[in-house]
Amino acid sequence: MDTKEILKKVRKIEIKTRRLSDHIFSGEYHSSFKGRGMTFSEVRQYQYGDDVRAIDWNVTARYNEPYVKVFEEERELTMMLMVDVSGSEFFGTTQQFKRDTITEIAATLAFSAIQNNDKVGLLLFSDEAELFIPPKKGKSHVLRIIRELIEFQPKSTKTNINEALKFLSSVMKKKAIVFVLSDFMDDHYEHTLKIVGRKHDVTGIRIFDKHDVEMPNLGVVPMLDAETGKTILVNTASKSVRKGYTAHYLKLVDYFEKSFNHSGAGTISSRIDESYVKKLLGYFKHKGAR
Amino acid sequence: MLRNFEFLHPQFLWLLVLIPLLAVWYFLIRKNDSATLLVSSTKGFLTKPSIIVKLKPILPVLRIVSIALLIIALARPRIVSVSQHTKTNKGIDIVMAIDVSASMLARDLKPNRLEALKKVAAQFVNQRPNDRIGIVVYAGESFTQTPITSDKRIVQKTISELNWGELDGGTAIGMGLGSAVNRLKDSKAKSKVIILLTDGVNNTGFVDPKTATELAIGLGIKVYTIGLGTNGMASFPYAKDPRTGQLLFRNSPVEIDEALLKYIAKETSGKYFRATDNTKLKAIYNEINKLEKTEIEEFKYYNYQEDYRILVLLAGLLIFIEMLLKHTIFKSFI
Repeated sequence: MDTKEILKKVRKIEIKTRRLSDHIFSGEYHSSFKGRGMTFSEVRQYQYGDDVRAIDWNVTARYNEPYVKVFEEERELTMMLMVDVSGSEFFGTTQQFKRDTITEIAATLAFSAIQNNDKVGLLLFSDEAELFIPPKKGKSHVLRIIRELIEFQPKSTKTNINEALKFLSSVMKKKAIVFVLSDFMDDHYEHTLKIVGRKHDVTGIRIFDKHDVEMPNLGVVPMLDAETGKTILVNTASKSVRKGYTAHYLKLVDYFEKSFNHSGAGTISSRIDESYVKKLLGYFKHKGAR
Repeated sequence: MLRNFEFLHPQFLWLLVLIPLLAVWYFLIRKNDSATLLVSSTKGFLTKPSIIVKLKPILPVLRIVSIALLIIALARPRIVSVSQHTKTNKGIDIVMAIDVSASMLARDLKPNRLEALKKVAAQFVNQRPNDRIGIVVYAGESFTQTPITSDKRIVQKTISELNWGELDGGTAIGMGLGSAVNRLKDSKAKSKVIILLTDGVNNTGFVDPKTATELAIGLGIKVYTIGLGTNGMASFPYAKDPRTGQLLFRNSPVEIDEALLKYIAKETSGKYFRATDNTKLKAIYNEINKLEKTEIEEFKYYNYQEDYRILVLLAGLLIFIEMLLKHTIFKSFI
């Protein structure tokens, strides 16, 4: 991918996700993650419809015209996007790969954060921390994050969520809003997740393909493991083989749900061919109401 | 009849060198770059090993074997049977008049006269493929063992089964010669030969050897006479042990009526030979063989039995099985 192509892609994602964050998520995101309180910022002329309780009587008397006080929420939140870039993300049997969907969701979240004056950081991981971009404000920073999401080539194809969480807790000393975007084809991370969950506001967003859940009957097929790079011959014609595949997957999903719930973290699961917008919206609404 | 296995185009067999190369290609190289299906994780499949998966290498094996079979078929394996046929009507008719009196068991030839004769006579018959041969045996009386025939198998069998003691004792040379002449009297062959073999003196029979000789002369039959027996003494059987049934031997002088034999040979423009031991006997038959040369018209028939069909069929069957398996139990969308 040359730069031109990447910029084009970045632009595409920006347009697509900007609209989402401006019109749909912005408010929900804002109310889901609250700041510390309200502080006075300025006075302005009263306009029809303004709350009369906000009128600043001193200024009104001075100018002989009604003025209202404007308050601003005091928030300096930090958002960390933890994105899995292991081999299994380059899989998808419908419109796009898991990684494409993850990129879109991450971009949406990043834009929402920027709009609310929050800082955004990025951590790309496989079985190690591949890339860490410290949290910053600004649109150009978000665009950089999106660019990395699109073009980053990981060194390793394997997944180790535990290592990534350990790295996160070592770099992020202040409380942050953490989104872990992955297919969670991994286990043994509950302990570290609990530690991270105590300090940060963690949400796990699990993206999966329908063929991660079930393998159709394809006959005897050589299968390449995206994570280990090993090829094995699989007889998918056998029902018990397919059942074993599904069972293994469901075990991982169960582990994901349980470990996140035990750590006080929220979870979102979205299939690639389903709309993630509704899922995110529902999650934010639910969180805001809590 | 000779049967030989051969390849018509053995140079094609060099193609078999390709077989190990193919195997290497199938099992080492192609395995790595064949189409694969990418999945997020194959861990879920590792729990259940399938027998079918382990059997999958059978497909390339079937294919390689069928290719090998086709290469062998290409070389045209076949069995060649050569049969020789000779025109018999140009040959001569030979009657072997053989003395089977008890004296033929004398041990001056090894192991005894009769056995030595059998061996030499069999060889002689083999060397005359296009002549008709008959066998007359005589002792005290004469008997046609085999009428003249071109069936050498029967002649050989008769020779191997010759035995003494089936006829009356004595040596009736005249009767033996007479029977032999009788056998040849209707023969239309351009040359008629009697090989008269004896080891004694004419001492019985109601046909005088001279009369028989005259008959032979009348029919234009050549008689080669062979006197069998060493010079001097030889151990002859003289009695049978009444208890064991075994023959008892003692030395006696050898008596051969050489004058008579010479006379017969001379009168019929044949030749008289004297065989004193095995080698001499053999030499005599060789000489007769040379003397009685016939024009040989020999035909060789090559009969090819092509064996490639079964190989091609087998290869086809294997390919068919491979296809069948590929599209049934090893069915794959790739």
